[in-house]
Amino acid sequence: MLDESILIIIAILFPILAGTILLFIKEPKSRNSLLLYVSLVFVICGILTVGILLGKEQELYLFSLTEELPILFKLDALGKLFLTIAGILWCGAGIFSFSYMKHEQREKRYFGFYLITFGVLTGLSCAGNLITMYAFFEFMTLASFPLVLHSQTRASIMASLKYLMYSFFGAYMALFGVFFLCYYESTLSFVPGGALGQGVADHRELMLFAACLMILGFSVKAGCFPLHAWLPTAHPVAPAPASAVLSGVIVKAGIFAIIRVIFYQFGPDFIKGTYVQYVLLTLSLITVFMGSMLAFREKVLKKRLAYSTVSQLSYILVGIGFLTPESLTGAFWHMAAHGVIKCVLFLCAGAIIVRTGITSVEHLKGIGKKMPITIWCFTIASLGLIGIPPTSGFISKWHLAMGALDSGIGIFQYVAPVVLLVSALLTAGYLLPVPIQGFFPGADYDYGSESKCESDPDMVIPLIVLAALSLLLGIFSKGLTEYFMLLANSLL
Amino acid sequence: MDRNAVLGCLIFLPMAGAFVSYVIGRFRKNIRDCFADALVILEFILALFLFVDFGKSGTAQFHIEEFAGYGIHFVMDGFRSIYALIAALMWMMTTVFSGEYFRSYRNRNRYYLFTLLTLGATMGVFLSADLYTAFIFFEMMSFTSYVWVAHDEKKASMRAAQTYLAVAVIGGMIMLMGLFLLYHTLGTLEIASLLEAGRLCENKGLLYAAGTCIAIGFGAKAGAFPLHIWLPKAHPVAPAPASALLSGILTKSGIFGVLAVSCSLFYGDALWGEAILIIGTITMFSGAVLALFSVDLKRTLACSSMSQIGFILVGIGMQGLLGFLKEGKALAGAGTLLHMINHSLIKLVLFMAAGVVFMNIHKLDLNEIRGFGRKKPLLCFVFLMGALGIGGIPLFNGYVSKTLLHESIVEYREYYFLSSQMAGSGFLPEGMAFIEWIFLVSGGLTVAYMTKLFIAVFVEKNRDEQVQKSFDEKKNYMNVASGISLTVSALLIPALGMLPNLLMDGLADRGRDFMHAGHLEEVHYFSLESLKGAGISMGIGILVYCLIVRFLLMKKTEAGRVYVDRWPSKLDLENGLYRPILKALNGLCGFFCRILDSLVDWIVVFLRKTVYRDRPFPFELQEGTMFTYRLGTICNKVQTWVEKKFPNPKRRHHEFVHEFALVHLQLIENRMVISRSLSFGLLLICIGLILTTIYLLGVHW
Repeated sequence: MLDESILIIIAILFPILAGTILLFIKEPKSRNSLLLYVSLVFVICGILTVGILLGKEQELYLFSLTEELPILFKLDALGKLFLTIAGILWCGAGIFSFSYMKHEQREKRYFGFYLITFGVLTGLSCAGNLITMYAFFEFMTLASFPLVLHSQTRASIMASLKYLMYSFFGAYMALFGVFFLCYYESTLSFVPGGALGQGVADHRELMLFAACLMILGFSVKAGCFPLHAWLPTAHPVAPAPASAVLSGVIVKAGIFAIIRVIFYQFGPDFIKGTYVQYVLLTLSLITVFMGSMLAFREKVLKKRLAYSTVSQLSYILVGIGFLTPESLTGAFWHMAAHGVIKCVLFLCAGAIIVRTGITSVEHLKGIGKKMPITIWCFTIASLGLIGIPPTSGFISKWHLAMGALDSGIGIFQYVAPVVLLVSALLTAGYLLPVPIQGFFPGADYDYGSESKCESDPDMVIPLIVLAALSLLLGIFSKGLTEYFMLLANSLL
Repeated sequence: MDRNAVLGCLIFLPMAGAFVSYVIGRFRKNIRDCFADALVILEFILALFLFVDFGKSGTAQFHIEEFAGYGIHFVMDGFRSIYALIAALMWMMTTVFSGEYFRSYRNRNRYYLFTLLTLGATMGVFLSADLYTAFIFFEMMSFTSYVWVAHDEKKASMRAAQTYLAVAVIGGMIMLMGLFLLYHTLGTLEIASLLEAGRLCENKGLLYAAGTCIAIGFGAKAGAFPLHIWLPKAHPVAPAPASALLSGILTKSGIFGVLAVSCSLFYGDALWGEAILIIGTITMFSGAVLALFSVDLKRTLACSSMSQIGFILVGIGMQGLLGFLKEGKALAGAGTLLHMINHSLIKLVLFMAAGVVFMNIHKLDLNEIRGFGRKKPLLCFVFLMGALGIGGIPLFNGYVSKTLLHESIVEYREYYFLSSQMAGSGFLPEGMAFIEWIFLVSGGLTVAYMTKLFIAVFVEKNRDEQVQKSFDEKKNYMNVASGISLTVSALLIPALGMLPNLLMDGLADRGRDFMHAGHLEEVHYFSLESLKGAGISMGIGILVYCLIVRFLLMKKTEAGRVYVDRWPSKLDLENGLYRPILKALNGLCGFFCRILDSLVDWIVVFLRKTVYRDRPFPFELQEGTMFTYRLGTICNKVQTWVEKKFPNPKRRHHEFVHEFALVHLQLIENRMVISRSLSFGLLLICIGLILTTIYLLGVHW
């Protein structure tokens, strides 16, 4: 039916248009009218997103770039998963922005690009073939670039350029692989379990190389070693809600693309046992350890969280790399869990900056007495990221490690769980000092002069909701695990 | 009453109550205290109900399906019913005592919140039916009990808390690794089915790896050597009620896990038993030595805890080694369980007594609290009960369990010849004789350090008469509630010790199913042979006290003899080994990671310096071309150098860049003039003609 599938186009175009309009209109007189407009768009976007999420799975062919390159939309289970995560986090960080952005200039531009990026993300998750996905992938880089640039200081300009350069470098690497695929394949539509034809079987070595390039290329976005360096540079300079969605959603687009490439284009059987798999596993395991170690040694809170993102995203890549249903379930879990958790952590860091101006971890003494709710949320999220049961982080780690052990890939099957646990240990080392210093300021702490400075309700509420979500997802994980398991089994 | 629901309540009631008490505490502190007291008393009643009920109708179960993926599963069997009761009892006593103890403390609300949460979590560990559940609640317990250690927020407490947390987290991670491996090999984590699954498993190597990881995780919490480092630091800085719980029950949750692995997965495995026995022996002896040297009341008690955990581990090890001998295994099993129970009860009493001292004078150093206990008969009685109990003096409970443990060692030596036919490996009797001696000496050291404490606090006078006077005048040193809780706890010790066959054997009988130990034959506790071991220990203890403590560990000063800490401060595993290693690892890994991190950035920088160099002329040239500019610059430099080397004022100074540019301009102009002139045209025609001629000649020759 046309009218149902047209909903996808509306859901993609509406936020993009709304955001573009926002960019071109004059600065509104009162802040409230801007917020009203944005929240109205949010609500409509939310309805549209829920609409397409609940709708049936269907294809929408739009037009062709050339004869062989159709623009095709199809929202399948993986896309729905990604879109759900993106939607929830976008909404949470958006509400948080209402108060937060009061302290930054140029709100109009921020919200404009914020909305556009969401539209692009919707398009990305709905993309039905490689070309469409690639187009939206590039578009996403461009749309999120102004979010990093926002403060327009020298640091942020350099950081955003770095972000742009790394992203393009990765995307072109992927594009190289796309060329090969285009040349040897009749169709580039996503098919669960892979869509490789005869042409590929004849050029195995070449196609493996193409797969390797595509994975490496997209992993730049996912902050995988060796091209991760943009992440710790870009995150600290962006406004907190922007870093939250950057770290929670946009970097996951890289992972989303890798899943598409491996499981919907080449097929896991093609990759299994080849050097591509080992390259992916080796790089991601190195990243897991390296990210945690650097986060452990980092003093600036937001930068620490950025390094943590580098490390945690590679957990997901490890899960993908093992190519077993169990590990893939863990990867899906970690996508959801890390998204929510990292969003909370970045928003907390933002709330702390707004209220006290503190950026360094060393100065957080007694912060828990001043902003108890914020730091409580931070604590719960931290425990989740470390993987303390029964939080969602624990569930993902359990499946990842189990999947690794079951895979039976020589040394990797034992090394991977050890690396994951060592990294978890470091995670405890770099996250727990914040609540510890915050709630245990020391016997000589001056309680008399302390003043409560908890954030505004519209900053605290998204924090509480998301932190509770990270905990509840873990406790009531059974249903979601089964869903992920089903999805994973359909791909392998 | 539905037994299964009660079982659930045992875990989740205190957790829910914790938050209620926090909310109440925001408004009224008194009501919060009463509420917490009521809650723990209710908890005790529930535990007691289940304890009694178990005797009549057997095990109870409580499931929450789908909780955290695999669901959590609790079960109440004999062993667990005992430990649930003891946990509830200890929480009841300490919480009642807390009311008075914390009067002058800050952040009491936080203390109550986390104490009640820890109660629920600890119950969860003890009642868990599978290791998955145990792990979930174990981690919860580790984190909530952190707050106890850090409660003071002083520098020392924060450092101790850091150590505690580090050990807990590292232990937790290692344990998780063990669980991964175990689940991977066996496909089950149900404690009851580990025995069967372990037997059927063929990959023994992986099984040992998994078991070791799990045992390390639990052992770290139990305070087993070499992961005991947190114990002597955390106990003294925590508030006394919390130290009592930490020492009495939290360490036992670690032992519970070690038991679950040793008695199910490695049932009767001599190799495993041997390893545990060696660790236990080291822990037992080193803890006792540390306690003897300590001059801090609570630190002594903490080290004593470590030593007693060693005794328990020896019991667990003996169970493994005595797999070939049913009676011996029963002895070791009963000894292990009873020593766990006894130690919990005794440490409850001792730490609360130490708490009374601290509550009144806020000091713990033996030299400063010396003489505080004089003329305080109730406190003296309470402390004495604990001291006699832990010293293993006949008629007190510690004697019973130590006798059983000692007997099991003796059995092993006597019946060793049987093992060669059955299992094969294990210690030789000579080795076991050595361990027996360490066992007896450690028992002797226990007597010695408890005597040291007792004499210091209750017999000797303080050096400063003024202080002693103020001590003596302090009649109102604890309130009625605290007094009752201390006295009741203290009375349990002789009660258990005087009727061992009636009470203790009954308890041991309940717990044997969990340990897969056989039925314990009636033991003649007060026979001459049994008394011999205790006699030797006491003899050693008195000797050590008289010779070592009085002479070596005390120093004469003008004001009399004082206790001195002769323990070399270098001999500290944490500061001497673990922290430097971690620091070095941190530095090393950080260095390499930093290299990896900046690899690409460096490559970019390198490229920009070499191939992808930025344009050297970011500005537009005013005149000339790149060539003339370069050449001019070089000539300018040469000129400068020449001028410097051979100064000659007559020489004209050139501005080569400019001059070359002029030359260049001139050339261009000349070229233009030439190219436009007639002669130039003619010249070209001539050249053309010549070329044509050559061509024609060349082709048509």
